[in-house]
Amino acid sequence: MTELDASGALTPRGDADVEAASGPDGALGAPPGAARRQTVWADVRIYLGAVVVALVVNAVLLLAIGADPLVAYRQILSSSLGSVAALAQTLNRMTPLLLGSAAVAFAMRAGYVNLGVDGQIYGGAILATGTAFALYGLPAAVVLPAVLVAAILGGGTVALLPAVLRARRGVNELFTTVMLNFVAFYAADYLSTGPWTDPVAGEAISVPIGAEARLPGFLTGGGHIGILLALPLVVAMAWWLRRTRAGFEFRAVGGNPRAAQFGGVSLVATGVVALVVSGLVAGLAGGIEVTGVHRRLILGLTPNFGYMAVLIAVLARRSPLGAIPAAFGFAVLIVGSDSLQRSVGLPASAVFLFQAVVVLAVLYFEVRRGGVLAAVRGRVGR
Amino acid sequence: MAEAASARGVAVRASDVAVEMAGVSKRFGSVQALHAVDFSCRAGEVHALLGENGAGKTSLMNVLAGLYRADAGTIRLHGRVVEMRSPRDAIAHDIGMVHQHFELVQAFSAFENIVLGAEKRVWSMDADRHRGAIAKLARRYGFDVDLDRHVRDLEIGDQQKVEILRILATGARVLILDEPTTHLTPIEVERLFGSVREFARSGLTVILIAHKLREILAVADRLTVLRRGRLVGTLDAADADEPGVVEMMIGERGALGTASCPRTVVGPGTVLAVRGAASAEDQRAVDLADVDLTVRSGELVGVAGVAGNGQKELVELLCGLRPLAAGSILLGERDVSRCSVRERIRAGLATLPGDRIREGILPGAPLFESYALGLHQVWDHSGWRPGTVRDEAQSMIGRFRVVAPGADAPTAVLSGGNIQKVLVARALAIAGQGGDSVLVAMNPTSGLDVGAAAFVHGQLGAMCMRGAGVLLISEDLEELLAMCHRILVLYRGQIVGSYEREAFDRYAIGAGMVGSGD
Repeated sequence: MTELDASGALTPRGDADVEAASGPDGALGAPPGAARRQTVWADVRIYLGAVVVALVVNAVLLLAIGADPLVAYRQILSSSLGSVAALAQTLNRMTPLLLGSAAVAFAMRAGYVNLGVDGQIYGGAILATGTAFALYGLPAAVVLPAVLVAAILGGGTVALLPAVLRARRGVNELFTTVMLNFVAFYAADYLSTGPWTDPVAGEAISVPIGAEARLPGFLTGGGHIGILLALPLVVAMAWWLRRTRAGFEFRAVGGNPRAAQFGGVSLVATGVVALVVSGLVAGLAGGIEVTGVHRRLILGLTPNFGYMAVLIAVLARRSPLGAIPAAFGFAVLIVGSDSLQRSVGLPASAVFLFQAVVVLAVLYFEVRRGGVLAAVRGRVGR
Repeated sequence: MAEAASARGVAVRASDVAVEMAGVSKRFGSVQALHAVDFSCRAGEVHALLGENGAGKTSLMNVLAGLYRADAGTIRLHGRVVEMRSPRDAIAHDIGMVHQHFELVQAFSAFENIVLGAEKRVWSMDADRHRGAIAKLARRYGFDVDLDRHVRDLEIGDQQKVEILRILATGARVLILDEPTTHLTPIEVERLFGSVREFARSGLTVILIAHKLREILAVADRLTVLRRGRLVGTLDAADADEPGVVEMMIGERGALGTASCPRTVVGPGTVLAVRGAASAEDQRAVDLADVDLTVRSGELVGVAGVAGNGQKELVELLCGLRPLAAGSILLGERDVSRCSVRERIRAGLATLPGDRIREGILPGAPLFESYALGLHQVWDHSGWRPGTVRDEAQSMIGRFRVVAPGADAPTAVLSGGNIQKVLVARALAIAGQGGDSVLVAMNPTSGLDVGAAAFVHGQLGAMCMRGAGVLLISEDLEELLAMCHRILVLYRGQIVGSYEREAFDRYAIGAGMVGSGD
């Protein structure tokens, strides 16, 4: 019963062009590749623009506190990319960001928002640490895979509750995933100050895991092979989304759940897959942090990786592949600006400010193009 | 308040032009909803605004009620040019509109809702001061509603009375009623029209938006007909004859000219059989009960009914989105009562959902993915090959002359008519193989222009020719009368009548649709 005004709002181009269809060939021929190349080029321009804006704004900030912007920028690049050891540090930092953001992006493709990456990282870390303790002394070929699998399952377990509540009772996962961040955090708090605590350390850290549960090194300077696990996994996620029938159904739910239902797709199954797989991937990040970086369960395991993961996923337009460069960029920024504290004497708060300006600049350009809004709107429309 | 005006009611001369709109145009995106429309009506008259869905009736009145700003044109009230910037301006000029969806606070009593509109002071509220006036108003126009009941407990007809009282209590002198009879029983319609005549007698101007001609001729003084956003003409009801006005409404080349009953030999084979079906109880929906229906091979069966009598629920029940509480559904020989949507699609059941955008497509995804959704269930290749799917969609675009930049274009850039073409193509691919397949189509031509509607009608016929069965659920009775072999009438979730083509009786069907059938 919609009048023209209602249907006009829904169908931006209106029905007038049906008349044009009476021509011999309805399709207005345009090579599909050309359109895609144009979009990619538009993306590149957005990010370049954002970087330029961020550099300029930050230069003003740096000048205001009496630092030389050029020195600072050179410092950022050299400390994050300037040597093999620096690159190894950047890749270490990139690994949890990449896994976390791929996890968030994946769930977003089906229209679900996983704000519980931090909790799932803790869940993975707890199970990984426990498994490492339980298998203490066995050969590394057994222990390390078992520990990583445990980490994956740990993250999945934390995500299972929101998934089930969403599927069975329609409870919004925004709330449940955030609440479970606290649960997982305090569980890690309890374990690292209680049963597993390292009595020598005197802070919230557990005793170290055995050498057989440690992730092999990569490059030099404390680098580990986590990135070599993360990259294939993220590529596999992207492949699944794009090239499988299940991935198509999954994305269809994200695009229009009601239409997907009419197309024979189960919303319940999709929701469970979205959140649980997201948790599994985030759990692996927790396992890698324990086995590769800290070698124990510690409370500072995730300095808000979960929220950064959401940002990166949005910047990557919900694409796991897009999360690779975005996570790398964030890692460069984090490692580089951390070093500003030491070398240029920038206060810690200025480092955060620096990072925030870059993020805001990218978000601003995204909004201008409609990317972020579309991501949010896709959510609200459910 | 209105009764103050009614005291001098007869003093208003019937020839006074109360509202005069000149050259009003309004555009939404690329849709020109109104092309320089002129409209005027007098004080003390009932003026019907007629036209098909999408003719621009509601748009024009939304301009008058301050909901839309016109792109061009002027509005004069009693000869004075006024600017309508917002509904507040309209209320200040004593114009009130009763929308199809009432704007009542469900948790308030009827009285509280009415006072809400009448109280002009912001910081205080003297409800009792209004009580007498409102009761008098209700009595004067024959609105017998218990004002102290919560709106949510009132029948839809009573809610409408409350809504009208609410508008009158704001002091409206021009009352716009948008399709007021949609949800009413014939007796309620008669009572409403009695009140409407009473409004006019007391000097109010009543504008009735309608698309059902017959009932309107009885109550209106004058008629204005719009077609596709343009003024066709204004005439006195006394001079109007039904066929003439219908022609004004739908034009010489009416959409119905394209709808014809497929000349198929209806086979003995049943493709869809529903036996004693009932939907599980659902507070937010119409409960279906004792639904029996059969669609045979090559048969086009219609389901007539006023919107909101269970059409949407019936579609959901058949395609598997709504649980079946009792009875059975058979596709061909196969009992699919417990089958998922996916299994039913694989068994040859295709659906054209009622809301083609919200229920049919993936707006942000490329066209080939929207086309594939649902259809992918019947493809034999178990994988997902974007290249193959894209090629199939590209060939579909060519075959059905879909106006689209290409199979990779985002689906949302297509017009409504072209989106429907894609959905029809998809349904044909699922159910068009003949055999035991069925298409369930809900309002497949609503909001489409003549060309697109003709395409849809043609394809429905073609499907029957190939031996599939079609269940056409439509709110457009004329479409059903033109196309169907058999028409079932759906009223409050139940099938209340069944008519074979030879025995079509539009009056009997129409009476069944509003619950007053035999």
